[in-house]
Amino acid sequence: MRVFITGVGVVSSIGLGKDAFFAALAEGTSGISPVEAFDVKNLGRQFAGEAKGFRPKDHLTALEVRRMGRCSQMALAAARMAITDAGIDAGALKGPRVAVVLGTTMGEADVLGDLDHAWIHKGAAGVRRAIIPKYGSTLLPIHIARAIGSEGAVLTLPAACAAGNYAIGFAADLIRSGKADVVVTGAAEMLQELQYSGFVRLAAMAPAKCQPFDLNRQGLILGEGAGILVLESEAHATRRKAATLLAEVGGHGMTCDAYHITRPHPDAIGSIGAMRQAIERSGVTPDAVDFVNAHGTGTKHNDAAEAKVMKDIFGNRKVPISSMKSMLGHCMGAASALEAIGCIMTLERGVYPPTIGYETPDPECDVDVVANVARSGAHDVVLNNSLAFGGYNSVTCLARPYKLPEPPPFSRRAA
Amino acid sequence: MTPRLVTGLGIACALGTGTEAFFGGLASAKRLSALPPSAIRSFDVSKYPDARIVEVPEFDATKYLGDKGLRTLDRLTKLLVVAARLCLHDAGIKKDNLWVALAPERVGVVCSNAYGSLEAITELDRVAKLEDARYINPAKFPNTVSNSASGYVSIWEELRALNVSVSDGNCGGLDAVACADIFLETARADAIITGGGEAMSEALFLAFQKLGVLGPVTGAGDRTTNGTATNDTRLGEAAAFLAFEVPEVARARGARILGEIAGYGTSFFAPEESPLVFASREAMKRAITTALADAQLAPRDVDLVVSSVAGLPQLDDEELAGIRDALPAAAVVAPKLALGETLGAGGTIGMAASLAWLGGVPVAQDLVVGGSLPARVRHVVVTSIGYYGNASAVVMRAS
Repeated sequence: MRVFITGVGVVSSIGLGKDAFFAALAEGTSGISPVEAFDVKNLGRQFAGEAKGFRPKDHLTALEVRRMGRCSQMALAAARMAITDAGIDAGALKGPRVAVVLGTTMGEADVLGDLDHAWIHKGAAGVRRAIIPKYGSTLLPIHIARAIGSEGAVLTLPAACAAGNYAIGFAADLIRSGKADVVVTGAAEMLQELQYSGFVRLAAMAPAKCQPFDLNRQGLILGEGAGILVLESEAHATRRKAATLLAEVGGHGMTCDAYHITRPHPDAIGSIGAMRQAIERSGVTPDAVDFVNAHGTGTKHNDAAEAKVMKDIFGNRKVPISSMKSMLGHCMGAASALEAIGCIMTLERGVYPPTIGYETPDPECDVDVVANVARSGAHDVVLNNSLAFGGYNSVTCLARPYKLPEPPPFSRRAA
Repeated sequence: MTPRLVTGLGIACALGTGTEAFFGGLASAKRLSALPPSAIRSFDVSKYPDARIVEVPEFDATKYLGDKGLRTLDRLTKLLVVAARLCLHDAGIKKDNLWVALAPERVGVVCSNAYGSLEAITELDRVAKLEDARYINPAKFPNTVSNSASGYVSIWEELRALNVSVSDGNCGGLDAVACADIFLETARADAIITGGGEAMSEALFLAFQKLGVLGPVTGAGDRTTNGTATNDTRLGEAAAFLAFEVPEVARARGARILGEIAGYGTSFFAPEESPLVFASREAMKRAITTALADAQLAPRDVDLVVSSVAGLPQLDDEELAGIRDALPAAAVVAPKLALGETLGAGGTIGMAASLAWLGGVPVAQDLVVGGSLPARVRHVVVTSIGYYGNASAVVMRAS
């Protein structure tokens, strides 16, 4: 069964909504700016990709704003954009055949931060009871399901920085298994003080810019946002005359390094395995891949490992690769969902988004980086790569509609 | 659903650590409300003289994992890694911590947890707010990430097929089954240890105490719900994994079969006007009905319902009503009355208890909250009701 993406919604540091996001990606716009959400003066780092243009009240009711932390607010806003983009009428997503599957790293981190702040400074008596039920990653899909009236599965997959890919991959499998016709999926993450401080303490944060694959790269820059996608079965999408098939979801690869909690395996064994799975489960060979969206954090370990993956999978063929994190910042759980949406721009328009800030090639990263300005090229099949804390590796293959072979039966056991 | 065979169990909970201890404790289980308070070690309870919580007694990870590498791990991680190790050994996949069946690349993890490591988050938050964010311990920072504990399970046990963390509140333990089912069906692994964990911490306790859900419930008096006292809620902790395998793999390696997973159902139903915290009778009924259809069973086939009733009337009443809507005649038990509210681990613990009862372990009368116990337990429905309108159910049967 084929699965299609029929609508997308974006909250990001470089724009709200698909059109603004695509335009900014194609132009190589940086969303990195001084942090305003909290005080960073003692941390030695001051930049992030904050979604400063996001105003919850522009997208949510007053009650919804009150009930949610910022992460859910961004997720619901992006979900509404995605559903509008899909041309689905309000009310059409009610019922048990619609599911919501979301990814995140920390979910409602601001709610917990506020509770913690009150507890630390005012003691237990200062903790406001009414705020407590607003905390929990499980709430992300719940808020969306409530808003759209869906009655199928509600599921959060907290897969750290690969969470978007995990959610999209699982959502596609849910449809292929026959358990849902439509899945609202993707991921959301908000910038929060403890996370920011933690990445600084891990010595993973660059001082001013994120330069994936550059010889002098100094690390990542955190970001935030939400990327939500509407996935539909082929039958459901074709029944619905208003549906535009933006892209097809191909195979999804998933492995675990079982090596280190924060660092990728130096030989990238798990990451290679995940990419092989994604290609093989799409029914194609590496030759069919036109472009790879890199995880591309800008850290020494990550980018070197990814370069090994590219070499192992594609051999001497230099498949163009780029990292949107150079523009968006590393949006953690939301990263691979936002980047999947960026891949749709590539599939639609044949435009590879650039890796901005790329100055000096790194011999250890011998890859064809789309450096600084967007590039045009073949655009039938792309891979969206992601890695995460916990040794998670996840790759999703996305393609122009009907450019992949007919998918095999869902049950690979039966096959 | 294609049946998933359960070939191993690893568990650490208030009734015991390890399958034998757990089954033994379950057979003679008493409601926590009938027992004197147990000693609490996970945090300083001197400020909370009436703390209604229950821990894994005498939990010592070094007994199972050795002394090395534990210093920066939080309690949740230790509980989960111990449960995973016990599960892999119980399943005969490992012996003396060496692989004796299957391969690391073909064994995966699906792990539920509701609230992550609040212990780690609040500890680092305290450092950041009372001292300076520059002083937070980078070695402990990864513990603040929701999938960290699950990731450590793979690292400690070399499980490389996949690692998926599920955060779905009280329903996560059962929803992990849905994930594992799809991953096995699509041949992403030959075996998946599927489970969940929740660890006690001061922050978790404080949150539930502030919500007023830890008994006694103010103003509730002695009201009962289908025989369940409403003032015996305790917050608990636990970790458990069940080893799931597809039949051809389990049988080919001669694995011992503890039971089968035969069906799964889930539903979300929250009317627009309902409050955010909303236990849904309708969702519970639908989840059970879907799970039974998935297992190709009729309501009359069900001998026992292993509910998530924990002594909180706002949830229990709706869950029991939903169960009765779908299964009017089945006996209903509530292991959480002896284990406490174990949140993200709850569904897994319910399945673990079901394995015991399917295997002939007697059901302790103290856990019965409705109906009459059958002479023999052949089919069980395990239920979980969420705090926000979701509910899930899993059908298990003897193999």
